[in-house]
Amino acid sequence: MPRNRKATVVALISTAAILLGFWLIIRTIGQPTGKPLNTLAPFGQQAQDIQNLTIPVFAVAGVIFVLVMVAVIWMVVRFRAPDDAVEGEHEPAQTHGNTPLEIGWTIVPAVILAVLAVLNVQTLLRLDDTGENPLEVTVAGQQWWWEYRYDLDGDQTPEIVTATQMVMPAGRDVTVKIQSNDVIHSFWIPSLNGKKDAVPGRTHELVFNSDNPGIYEGQCTEFCGLSHGVMRMQVKVLPPAEYDVWIREMTKAPAQPTSAAASRGEALFVGQCARCHEVNGLTPDSTPPFTYSDEPSPDYGVEVDSSLSSKNAPNLTNFMMRQTFAGNLLALWEGDAATAVVAVPGQVPGATPDKVNIKRWLRNPQDVKPMDAENNQGMPNLNLSEDQIDDLTEYLVTLGPSTRPAA
Amino acid sequence: MAITEERPPLELTSGDLPPLEVETLGVFHRPRATHGWASWFTTVDHKKIGIMYGFASFFFLLVGGFEAILIRTQLAVPGNKLLSADLYNQVFTMHGVTMVFLVVMPLAAAFANYLLPLQIGARDVAFPRMNALSLWVWLLGAIFFNTSWFLGGGADGGWFNYAPNSGVVFSPSHGIDFYAVGLLIMGIGSTVSAVNLTVTVLNMRAPGMTLMRMPVFTWMTFIVQVLLVFALPVITVALILLTADRMFGATFFDASAGGDPFLWEHLFWIFGHPEVYIMILPSFGIASEVIPTFSRKPIFGYPFMVGSGIAIGFMGWGVWAHHMFASGMGPISVLAFSLATMFIAVPTGVKILNWMATMYGGRIRFTTAMLFSVGLVAMFTIGGLSGVTHAFAPMDTQQTDTYYIVAHFHYVLFGGALFGLFSGMYFWWPKIFGYFLNEKLGKWHFWLMILGFNLTFGPMHILGLQGMMRRTYTYTEGQGFNGWNLVATIGAYLIAVSILVFMWNVIRSYRQHRANPVNPGPDPWDARSLEWMVPSPTPEHNFDEVPVVEDFDEFWHRKYGHDEQGRPVRIAATEDVVQKGDATDVHLPSPSYWPLVLAAGLPLIGYGLIFNLWWALPGAILLIAGIYGWVLEPSTDPSAGHGHDDDHHHDGDDGDAAALEEPSGDEADTASGDEAGEGAGVASADEPEPAMASASADAEDGGSK
Repeated sequence: MPRNRKATVVALISTAAILLGFWLIIRTIGQPTGKPLNTLAPFGQQAQDIQNLTIPVFAVAGVIFVLVMVAVIWMVVRFRAPDDAVEGEHEPAQTHGNTPLEIGWTIVPAVILAVLAVLNVQTLLRLDDTGENPLEVTVAGQQWWWEYRYDLDGDQTPEIVTATQMVMPAGRDVTVKIQSNDVIHSFWIPSLNGKKDAVPGRTHELVFNSDNPGIYEGQCTEFCGLSHGVMRMQVKVLPPAEYDVWIREMTKAPAQPTSAAASRGEALFVGQCARCHEVNGLTPDSTPPFTYSDEPSPDYGVEVDSSLSSKNAPNLTNFMMRQTFAGNLLALWEGDAATAVVAVPGQVPGATPDKVNIKRWLRNPQDVKPMDAENNQGMPNLNLSEDQIDDLTEYLVTLGPSTRPAA
Repeated sequence: MAITEERPPLELTSGDLPPLEVETLGVFHRPRATHGWASWFTTVDHKKIGIMYGFASFFFLLVGGFEAILIRTQLAVPGNKLLSADLYNQVFTMHGVTMVFLVVMPLAAAFANYLLPLQIGARDVAFPRMNALSLWVWLLGAIFFNTSWFLGGGADGGWFNYAPNSGVVFSPSHGIDFYAVGLLIMGIGSTVSAVNLTVTVLNMRAPGMTLMRMPVFTWMTFIVQVLLVFALPVITVALILLTADRMFGATFFDASAGGDPFLWEHLFWIFGHPEVYIMILPSFGIASEVIPTFSRKPIFGYPFMVGSGIAIGFMGWGVWAHHMFASGMGPISVLAFSLATMFIAVPTGVKILNWMATMYGGRIRFTTAMLFSVGLVAMFTIGGLSGVTHAFAPMDTQQTDTYYIVAHFHYVLFGGALFGLFSGMYFWWPKIFGYFLNEKLGKWHFWLMILGFNLTFGPMHILGLQGMMRRTYTYTEGQGFNGWNLVATIGAYLIAVSILVFMWNVIRSYRQHRANPVNPGPDPWDARSLEWMVPSPTPEHNFDEVPVVEDFDEFWHRKYGHDEQGRPVRIAATEDVVQKGDATDVHLPSPSYWPLVLAAGLPLIGYGLIFNLWWALPGAILLIAGIYGWVLEPSTDPSAGHGHDDDHHHDGDDGDAAALEEPSGDEADTASGDEAGEGAGVASADEPEPAMASASADAEDGGSK
């Protein structure tokens, strides 16, 4: 019957087309470069566990997809009423159902799902395993940046408080304790693990373990207001030795500024920025000569009365140990130093602070990231003069390890 | 309200009843008009109400679609500055709320209102004035919600509106107040409507229309109403808590004061997940009417279709926390909800396979209605399969809140629900308006829409898997999102074009109909259920005489028997089994102002809550006046004429239930055993004529001609 043959041909062609489409999509998604948030390119144990579940599930779904689509296409061609169809001729049999068949196609999908359910449960249990002797890092989300606290000696007060870029050693279990200081956010580094929400009043745990040093991008994925779309973060996985260097440098006070411009900037920082931002040891009440401490004061923002902004702003001690700032929107270093997988970006050959970016931010932060400072959400425009911006920039670039080569 | 009204005992359905002594308040006269523009404001006719639901929700489809176009234009290229972050957040929030509460739900309600009484052989819904009330409450609530655009900005917390981001501290504009109060108002409308339709299905079926003879659309709509009755109280509680937090300084969701943001998440999704089925099941019902009609076969496995609908309705209550796999609730909860969610795919899959089995071996006519239904089967399959992939909680932690989810639920709610609703429009348009929509333009509409739809939402699967987050007002170069976003935007404009084609189709078909009226007749598609027995457009009283039902697909069986191979054989000409629509003595409930008056009070109270409590005073006065006027007004105007023959009985019949005079299902079973359907005669005709009730009787009639 020609209609039968036509239907088969169309079905075969559409099968081929769908498979070709699948192949193209898999190729597109599989390309690792240029897609920093790719969910299908695991670089950590947990993300790999998820990937190992994803592949069989997608394969089964893909097979069912092809079967259903091709069957629909086949039937559409095969059973199309001829244009000259006459009532009463070649009428279809009035089938009302077929109970064994229907029970069959109720049970078969249930069985397929039951098999996959076993994989599902196994993966869930694996992801819940926090491992042995994990490094604990507290992550606190707020509008619209992330703070990382490292309590190295277990005394419940952090020795390192930093922002924007979380640093962890390769080859070790890391438990991230996720908290929120205002609304619900979600901490997500797709290369390392799935996401978990930061909910006020709760601490949620997420486990990372990666053998692959690198810088992995993340993005807040629970809608958190104005700048949710650009609330980014990074996790830098360092080889263990480099990680030790990072810890050492981060627990030292930064070098004191030497140039006159930087000193003017330091005074400006105390007068303006310290109302929200902390450099360990400096407070709005500090008087010259300024001295740093090597420990952050706990809950800095909360203790300082500020009607200007949110009570939380990034701790800027050892600011230049980071590679990006402004919630990962701006590079802090020019060239390779912004992306090098090293403990101290300033030691990358040719490292130069990206002063243009810093000045752009200081000129008007809301030009880079939408914020609502009048409503205590984010950083206000301080209306600094260009001279003040220059001085402040000179000061900020001193906030790093003393071994930094002269810029 | 109907419950508290004095109603004469049902056994007194014949004989004269004393007219009630109550007159309508003072200077106000009862509306009498049943034609003309004014009649639309006071009508209690389920068909007019259904049509108004349809037009209003189509208007909001244009509003929500415009918001969608803004979203897609903003995201076409990286770093676009068309919308500010603030405006973008409002636009995507309003888009979501509009499409869910102002488009898909009321559009399904339009079909439910119009068709459900017809499909079960009733003259109206159980409580006609309450039906009008649900329309006006919903419509005024929807308008109220959208006025926020002009009163300080729309809601900006997402349709899911998680606390504490929805609190006054983080969202100081009035947008979220409008969201909370607007949804509370619309919830009143939906609850009233759900109760009304539930009672209608349970009590108003024609003789012999047992539950398992009801058309699948009626079944799915019935399940939806039951879901609504149980789901709406949950969102109502959540919204009242939110309103208390925002307006009166309560701290239900404030963790620092001992509240809990999780409370909102759970309440919202306990409502929100059944809501998904509330949106999709009516379209499943529509496809289950369209596919058999155009395949010339009965629906395959009717009990399985009904059963899987019920199963989805039940299981839908046990999966809400799959929206919260990444929320940080404990691993046992995640496990339980993950497994439950996986297995809800089973009854859904049964539906897909049964639709395919219905088409198998059929003789398929590809009308526009059929194309949209087949499109639904294919597109919903994609949405269903991607849904299964995030039932696996570990995978969901990678996928949730990315564009993969956006793709998934648009395949479900656009490719599923909206395609089904468009299918229904093309299918029932001749029944409702008495003229066909142009098939050629309809096919342009379909192919443009399915192409645009797949271009828009297909690439979002890829974008999501590549990590593009939802609800982002922009993205930057270097994130790898550039190309596919542009494709999606082009697709969105194609969808807009297809909607324009549809609108042009409606206008052009109407003009042609005006210039050269060709009545499509009662049964233009050679269809199967009772609504096709009455003339097009449906007469105000629906049925001349209420049919006595003997079979599933009753109308089909009056037209066709079958030979020994099970193939249909014509046993009666269609014109002999359809009704003429010329009955003259049918009692219908009278029009009333009061539903509109009552409903008008609610938005005023809403403005009062938001801006100044004094404004609530006129609202409260209207509300109370509406209630009193309603209670004091007999449902049937004692001094109005009843069609052509108004003096026989039931003067002053004050039951809100228009057709409660008809025997209920229990009696029907007895009645249907009688030869020639005497039971039907009880309905309303003063002199019962023998109804052509059974297929065998029809066969003899047909044979004798």
